[in-house]
Parts: sequence; C-alpha cells; structure tokens
Amino acid sequence: MSSHAEHLDGQLPHEPEKATLEGRNKVLGFWLFLGGESVLFGTLFATFLALRDQIAEGKPGTELFQLPTVALATFILLTSSLTSVFATQALHRHNVKAMINWLIVTVILGLGFLGLEIYEFFEYVHEGHKFTTSAFSSSFYTLVGFHGAHVAFGVVWIGILIAQIFKKGLTVVTAPKIYVAGIYWHFIDVVWVFIFTVVYLMGKVG
Amino acid sequence: MSTQHSASDSAKHRHRHEGPGKHIVAFIFSIVLTLIAFAAVMAGEVNKTFTYIIIIVMAVLQVIVQLAYWMHMKDRGHLMPIIFLFGGALIGFTAIIMAVYWVWW
Amino acid sequence: MDWLTTVDHKKIGILYLIAGGLFFLIGGLEAILIRIQLMQPKMDFVTAQQFNELITMHGTTMIFLAVMPIIFALMNAIIPLQIGARDVAFPFLNSLGFWTFFFGGLLLNLSWLVGGAPDAGWTSYMPLASNTYSTTHGVDFYSIGLQIAGIGTLLGGINFLVTIINMRAPGMTFMRMPMFTWAVFITSALILFAFPAITVGLVLLTFDRLFGANFFEIANGGNAVLWEHIFWIFGHPEVYILILPAFGIISEVISTFSRKRLFGYSSMVFATILIGFLGFMVWAHHMFTAGLGPVANALFSIATMLIAVPTGIKIFNWLFTLWGGQLTFNTSSLFAIGFIPTFVMGGVTGVMLASAPADFQYHDSYFVVAHFHYVIVGGLVFGLFSGLFYWWPKMFGRVLNEKLGQLTFWTFFIGFHMTFFIQHFLGLMGMPRRVFTYLPNQGFDTMNLISTIGAFLMGVGTIAFLINIAVTAAKPKNAPNDPWVDGRTLEWTIPSPAPEYNFKQTPLVRGLDAYWKEKMAGNKEVPAAEPVGSIHMPSPSIIPFMMSVGLFIAGFGFMFAKDEFASSFVGMLFNNYIVAILGLVITFGGMFLRSVFDDHGWHIEPEELEDKGVKA
Repeated sequence: MSSHAEHLDGQLPHEPEKATLEGRNKVLGFWLFLGGESVLFGTLFATFLALRDQIAEGKPGTELFQLPTVALATFILLTSSLTSVFATQALHRHNVKAMINWLIVTVILGLGFLGLEIYEFFEYVHEGHKFTTSAFSSSFYTLVGFHGAHVAFGVVWIGILIAQIFKKGLTVVTAPKIYVAGIYWHFIDVVWVFIFTVVYLMGKVG
Repeated sequence: MSTQHSASDSAKHRHRHEGPGKHIVAFIFSIVLTLIAFAAVMAGEVNKTFTYIIIIVMAVLQVIVQLAYWMHMKDRGHLMPIIFLFGGALIGFTAIIMAVYWVWW
Repeated sequence: MDWLTTVDHKKIGILYLIAGGLFFLIGGLEAILIRIQLMQPKMDFVTAQQFNELITMHGTTMIFLAVMPIIFALMNAIIPLQIGARDVAFPFLNSLGFWTFFFGGLLLNLSWLVGGAPDAGWTSYMPLASNTYSTTHGVDFYSIGLQIAGIGTLLGGINFLVTIINMRAPGMTFMRMPMFTWAVFITSALILFAFPAITVGLVLLTFDRLFGANFFEIANGGNAVLWEHIFWIFGHPEVYILILPAFGIISEVISTFSRKRLFGYSSMVFATILIGFLGFMVWAHHMFTAGLGPVANALFSIATMLIAVPTGIKIFNWLFTLWGGQLTFNTSSLFAIGFIPTFVMGGVTGVMLASAPADFQYHDSYFVVAHFHYVIVGGLVFGLFSGLFYWWPKMFGRVLNEKLGQLTFWTFFIGFHMTFFIQHFLGLMGMPRRVFTYLPNQGFDTMNLISTIGAFLMGVGTIAFLINIAVTAAKPKNAPNDPWVDGRTLEWTIPSPAPEYNFKQTPLVRGLDAYWKEKMAGNKEVPAAEPVGSIHMPSPSIIPFMMSVGLFIAGFGFMFAKDEFASSFVGMLFNNYIVAILGLVITFGGMFLRSVFDDHGWHIEPEELEDKGVKA
C-alpha cells in the first residue's frame, strides 16, 4: 500500500514529508483538520463577539487589558513561528542538527508565551475577572484559554517529536510529523493575530 | 544556520533550497503590521470606528502574509489546502455575522 | 479480539452496522413507546417526565447513533472498493472513529440507568437545558456523550476526504468517480465544517452546566438565542450530511437496476456541491419565530427555497434514468423507487415551511414532525435499506432473502406513510409537538390512533429485516463477484465478500462506470494498473479502543465531580477529579504511544494471493 521512497544512494529524498503516500496523506489530512479548526475558532470568536459587552459585575476590557504584556507575548509567538519555518527549511536541507536546534528555540519561545499568559490570567483573577464572573469573562477565558491549550499541546507535541528525532533520526516516516507540527504551529500564530486584534485591541478601544 | 551537503548531494540537488530571506521579510512585515495596529489603539485619540478598521485590516494583511509565505500557500500543490482552509474560514465568518447581527436586538 | 483491534475498513464497516443497528432498535423502541402514549387522549402509559426523556433520546439516538453510523458503515464498506483503493487513508483513525462513537453512544444511553436521560429535546435549547431547569444529569450525558461521539464523526470525515482526494486508482479523475463516492466526498466536507460548531456548542453547554460559565445565563449577561444559532449552524448541515449519502445510494441503485447510465452525471455532481454549500446558509429557518426580524427571516426564507432547485435537478435526473431503462424490481430497487415520491413529499412540505410567515403557524406543530420524518425516514432510511440490500453481498458474501425483503419493504413503506402522512393534518389542525398527551374531542384522537398503528407496522418490517439477516447468515457464502449481473462500478469486479487486500492489482480506470465500460467493450475484467506485488497492510491496534475507554471514563469523571456518594472513597475519587484525570491520562497516553511507536505494518506476499492468473 505504501510506496517505499527510493533514493539512488540511500539518502533522503528532496521533500521527505511528501515522499510516501502515508506522508502525503498526513500532510493533506492535517490541512483539512486545520480547516475544521478554523470553524471551531470562528465559532469561539463569534461567541466572544456576541458576549463581549456583557460584563455583569466585573471589569470591562478597557480597564483589564495591559497592552505592553500582550505586545510582548505577540512578539514571542511571532518569533517562534519564524523559528519553526527555519526548522522546516533545515528539514528540507536534511540538516538534522539545525532542525532540532530551531525546534528547541520554538519550544522555549512557546513556553515563554504560555508563562506570560498564565501570569496575565492570575492578575485578572485577582482583579475580580474570573471564569464565572460574567458572560464576557466566560467567553474571554474560553477563547483565549482554548488558544493557550493549543499552544501547550503544541509545545508538548514538538518536545516529543524532538525526542523521537534523536532516537530515530530524520526519515520518510518522521519527516511528515515534523512538517505537520510546523503547519500546526503557524496556524496557532495565525489564530493569535485575530485574538490580539479582536480581544485585546478591540477590547481596549471599547 | 549551516547547510551540510555532501559532495554527491550537490551533484544531485540541482534545485535550489529557498533561503531564509523571504521568510525574514514576512516576519518583518508581520511585526510592522502588528506595531501599526497596537499604535493605532495606544494613541488613543483616533476615532473608534476608524481604529477598528485599521486593526482589522492589519490583521487580515498579516494573516495573508503568514499563510502565503510560512504556510506555503503560494506554492504549487496546495489547491486542496486552500479550498478547505478558506472553506472553513468562510463558515467561521458566517458564524461571526450571526454573532454581530442576530444575537442582540 | 480481532474485532477490538481491527483497522480494516471492511470490518470497521461491519462494526458500525452492528452498533448502528442496535441503537436503531433502541431508538425504534423509544418511538413505539412514544406512539403508545399518544395513541389515545390522556393516556398515562408514561409520565410527562418520561415522555420528555423518550422524545429527546429517540431523536438523539436515531440521528447520531443509528442512521449516521449506518451511513458510515456503507461509507467504510464501499468507498475504498469504488475508487480502487486497498484501505482508507488513516486506518488507525478509522478504528478510533468507530470506538469513540460507540463509547459516546454507550455513555449517552447509560443515562437511562443512572439518574435519568436527557429531557430537553434533541436540540437541548437553553435555558431549559441549564442546571436551573434540567436538574438531573441527563443533559450532561447529552453534552458529553455527543461530544465524544462527535470526535469520531469528525475523524471519519477527514479520513474519507483524504482517501478520496489521494487514493483513487489511476485513471479515475474526479469526474469519473461513482455518484456514491461524490456524495460521500461532499458529505465528508460538510462533516468537517459542521461538527466543529457543535463541538463548541457542547463545550459552552458543558461549561455552563458543570463549571459555572455564563454563556447562556441571562442573569450574568448570557444569551439563549446564541445557543440556537450555534446549534443550528451545525444542525442544518447535519441534515444534509444525513441525506446526501442517501442521494448517492439512490443514484447507484437506480442506474444499476435500469441497466442505464445515470442521466445528467455532471449536473448531479454540481447539484450535490450546491446543496452542500447552500446547506450552511439556511440555519435560521429553524428560528423564524425567535424574533430575528423581517430582514433575517426574508434572507433565510429565500435561501432555503433555493435549495429546492438543485434537489429538483436530482429528482428529475433519477426519473430520466428510469425512463426507458430495463427495470429490475427487487427489494433494493423498490426502496429506491419508493424513495422518490416520498422524499419529494418531504421536500415540498419543506418549501412550505420555508415561507417565514407561514412557518409562524407550522412552527412547533406536528406539521414539522411530519416534514422531517418524511425526509429522514422516507428519504434517508429508505435509501439506507436500498443500499444495504444492494451491497449486502459485497459485505457478507450472501444475498439477502428476497421474499423477506419484499415483506420488509411493503410493511415498512405502508406503515411509514400511515404513521406520518396523517401527522401533516394533525399539525394543520393545531396539535403541538413535544406534548405528552392531548385532550379529547379536538379531532386528534382517530388520527393519532392511525399514526400509532402505522408505527407498529414499521416495527413489523424491521423485525422481518432482522429475521432476514439471521436466515441469510445461515446460508453459505456463495455470492458471486457481481451478484446483480449489471454492476457498473469497481466494487463488483472483486470477490464477494471482498478479500482482505481488496484488489490483487490496482485497477486502471478508463471512464465513468469503469466496470460497465469494460463490459460494453467485451472485456470480462477491468485492466490492472500494476503487476502483482507484495501488498503492505497496516497493523491492528488496541489503542483506539483504549483511548475511547479513557474518554468514557473521563466523561463520567467530569459529570459526577460535584456529586455526593454513599461511599466516601468513591466520593473522594470523583470530587477530586481523580476519575476524570485518569480517563484523560489513558486517552493522551494512547496518543503518546501511537506517536512514539511506529507501525511498520505487515505484507501479503504474491504467493498468498489467490491464483487467478496474472495480468502482464
């Protein structure tokens, strides 16, 4: 069922993630999954947009949101998306060491983003903006929290993949996994662009 | 970021690997668009509707840049990803129209 | 054990059929109990609370746990065969999809035994479904059970999309795919785009009920109409997910048993795509009376009526296929031919409902109940019966008994119309839906009685089908490759049942209706696209089963986390979320194992393949 990719001198083919049918299936399947995730986040954004003015007894976004922190988190996540591009380019060059290094940087930046977000949530809770406070707060934490959960999952996933590369090396089996994780990481940065725009910037404007 | 090619490699790999250049440009573009959006809000004196328009346009532009360059959407062989990703975005957008117009009245 | 670990699409198809069939019987029993309660005015066969649970579970079970799995059964059994592939793109995920469906459905139905079934309708509107008004765990079973089952459906959708895009046999362009394959392709796209919306909706519902969120909590700024919107943005595409595969089946069955190619293939493809797309633009026709206003109501009214156009194209194409054909009347073709007028009846009442001002009268009456049963039962279920009788030999190696089949058809067909035709008039006369009883002397009494008798007749038809399955299973597996003799598509070129590897050699497709094309050219077989070689097969795995059990446990863990228990030890486990976390650990542990331990598969060698002569 699979076509075992053959390369004349036993080396990896040019785009190893696409060299086998399984690899091509995984890449396409993942793109489709992201199409579904677009609807998922779209619905979460819709819920947030519908309920963003319903602050009940809590504080509004104009008072809560600290843009410098958000800007820093944005910069960190954006940079991590760039480093994951470099990792994929290293993959195409079959440069395993460089690829692993860029993936490690990506993970560290991802952890940095998560740390900032957790700190930010703790601050909000202290200021009386809890999950159960209002419709606005519930939808804020659900939307931003789901994104954060996706970042956390990505960090763990890429971490496990790094370990796998150490053990198995870069092959036509491991390459699709790295490629697909890269697409995933870009996607969550794309979602963040909308989050900082719709939640924080629009929230600060009022 | 060193590239390691063996001698036999360079003979076979006549195609050029794309350099980091385009991606760094995309990165800088994204930073600039982000800064403009943040500045529009932090300046504080701009008219509210105008601010909304600026930041949304900046977001859309940035997403296009990221999709095209970092997610390779501009490269060939991506017809199905484009159809399904934009299909999903279309449905998501429908949900947003719902939320903005038909939840409170 | 083989059945718990299989990743073979053919076996998974049979698992879906058995599980879906069992849930169909449960849903059917719920229907019979409902109809007994409504047989006469002021019956007290069941209490009002029990009635609410019955109607909720009947709808939820039938849609999510019965007909959708049977659709998946046929998708799994047939699609790889129709496109000349050896399996689906992701055999492991295929198995995971089945087991999550199964355990989600099991969780949902355990509600009957553990504190009460959900009782807020299959649409679970807020605030009725909130903690304030639905105080048992019923709606939690609904939200968590469907969430788990929904994961499986989404995975299945992605699986079939990739399979159809990437794994068609050489020569099979998109416009040479059979109509059932096209239907499944569009359905899978609908699944991909619709299910994430209900995922979010169920998350919001769960968060409101279990974690104190305020999405639909009016006092803290929540909005109940938001639930309706999110539910129906999923819910309307869902009904197209239900019917499009049936359309595909009808196209296959009608063309085969007319000995004629499908009339208007290109327009059929185009119509299917259009129906799929428009299906996402009409959801608020379920909300005409919610107060969205005349502009919204007008937009959705027009969009809804538009869908009748491509649907009408399909009806005419089927009629033109039948016209001038050499017709064979057997159980399969009878169900397909019976489908046409029945579905049209359901469709025209749909256009009536689409008129927003008129709908203010029809809404929440039995007119709506009649409409959707006409399209779902008279449409989808007839189509499924047709497809099951048609493809049974390919799945099981035996042709179902034709006499029992005819009995099934006639009792089910007559019983169906008896049950539901009369409900149009009940609705027009003012009988509301979802009522557990009604007062006498309103003109409802006789009609309800007739409706109940019809339901029993459908039950007879179902039992006849079960007997048929049993009787057929006792026969030897002697069906030929092409039991209907006039097979047009690739699945009829291989033995019945299909061998483990499907195709000894991947076929070379030279046109639409590939097998028929070869037959008309005087060839007995479809040419091969490759020499005989060793065939790579994926390995079985217990991980999908394990992951689904994990989700099942986690579901209970979250649901009962705030309850009190007689045993303080059990209480400690639940109240500290230990059970919930244990379940999640099992599931994520399974994902970890799957990622880390690669499946190298195994090979079937050429010597083991049946020796029927090798094509060069």
